[in-house]
Amino acid sequence: MTVSADSVRHTPLWDRHLALNATMADFGGWSMPMEYTGTVAEHRAVRESVGMFDVSHMGTVLIFGSGALEAVNAVLTNDLERISDGQAQYTMLCAENGGVIDDLIAYRFDENNLMLIPNATNSDAVVAELKRALTDTEVNVLDARDDHAIIAVQGPHSAPTLHAIGIELPEKYMAFARSTWNGSPVMVCRTGYTGEHGYEIVLPASGAPQLWDALSGAGAIPAGLGARDTLRTEMGYPLHGHELNAQITPVQAGLGFAVGWAKGTFHGREALTSERESGPARKLRGLIAAGRGIPRAQMSVVDGSGDSIGRVTSGTFSPTLSTGIALALIDADIADGAQVAVDVRGRHVDFTVTKPPFVESHVRD
Amino acid sequence: MIPAELHYTPEHEWVRVTETGTVVVGITHYAQDALGDIVFVDLPAPEANVEAGGSMGEVESTKSVSELYAPIAGRIIARNVDLEANPETINADPYGDGWLVEIEPDGGVDVSALLSASAYVALTAAG
Repeated sequence: MTVSADSVRHTPLWDRHLALNATMADFGGWSMPMEYTGTVAEHRAVRESVGMFDVSHMGTVLIFGSGALEAVNAVLTNDLERISDGQAQYTMLCAENGGVIDDLIAYRFDENNLMLIPNATNSDAVVAELKRALTDTEVNVLDARDDHAIIAVQGPHSAPTLHAIGIELPEKYMAFARSTWNGSPVMVCRTGYTGEHGYEIVLPASGAPQLWDALSGAGAIPAGLGARDTLRTEMGYPLHGHELNAQITPVQAGLGFAVGWAKGTFHGREALTSERESGPARKLRGLIAAGRGIPRAQMSVVDGSGDSIGRVTSGTFSPTLSTGIALALIDADIADGAQVAVDVRGRHVDFTVTKPPFVESHVRD
Repeated sequence: MIPAELHYTPEHEWVRVTETGTVVVGITHYAQDALGDIVFVDLPAPEANVEAGGSMGEVESTKSVSELYAPIAGRIIARNVDLEANPETINADPYGDGWLVEIEPDGGVDVSALLSASAYVALTAAG
């Protein structure tokens, strides 16, 4: 990966994005494609056929050494004993107060080898925290982001598209397969962040442009971070910095499924167990527009009397539903189906409280 | 993409003076291209009185929101209500079916306060 003079970082596919005349923007210090032809068309391509995303800005952290699995399992929230070698898991790294340093995907190779995919902007923090936590062990933490690229291929046609270019696929949801493609070692995991059947491919940076071109030739539509955001919001998936951060815990965000409560230890266990027992003051909920308006992050959510009951963490126009949707942290006692309003630049727009996803999930299809 | 017969504002709106002396207002091709996919339009109320340079609604895309400004003072006599269900019409046809409102001006129309097509070309070329 290259670092330009103004220190904005480029992925190995940067010149492909420029050649496609993508709208580029700085995302956490990375020059990334926001959209190519348009967010709505790219969103629909993923829901109806197949899209591909360059997500090489995300971290690639290798963890290896005697007892790596056990050591990491004492730090991350989810329980790596719930999965087998060859499977991946959604998990989090919390601080002792229960706040979330990052949410990430952990790949389990064997008892001595793992790989983590943290968010782009949190990768350095994850590496630093794990190095600190694993100081007195024989386990090594290696930041391998610069050597790797990640391409997400998502949508109902993702499997035939990858078959067409000769990539070996894992069968089950959240399982991964390692093979070779065009001379490069590739790791293909049946995961993604769109709610569709899809795959994420991790490979050496040098092999990424050829894979991108082959996928394009097989019909995958390039999709930018704009569509990635509308797709994940429709599914109610959290984005760190919005639904999760140092102040928002997994209990508030409704991510208890990604916490190994029965495990002996993980970072933040005491604070999270206590909050789970007492019940959080606010919870992450879905809001769907009953009136006309598009909610955006940080807008205030108010009840029938106009009193503030929370705030929007992510809001967008849903291309699938053709209406405004939001994820919001609101008072825990508000019931599903309740009518609330969002203050859209001074105008109160009516919304109905709901349980995400807003659109049916197809990840296991 | 900049029709010569229209007048323009620095806020990237176009103004067409009709034969009856009313004005039709929309946003330019440049504006819709910069906004990206338009997904929401909030138009002024029927019969609303608008002030020159005053806010009269919003156009929102997947990535940003942009305020609409009245290019002249007057009364809203027609609104393109089809845009509420099909806001993408603005992207597809900004100078035609994507028009926003028709205004009956207070007094006459003074186009000297607006930009000519050539002046607007120069404005957008300068970025």
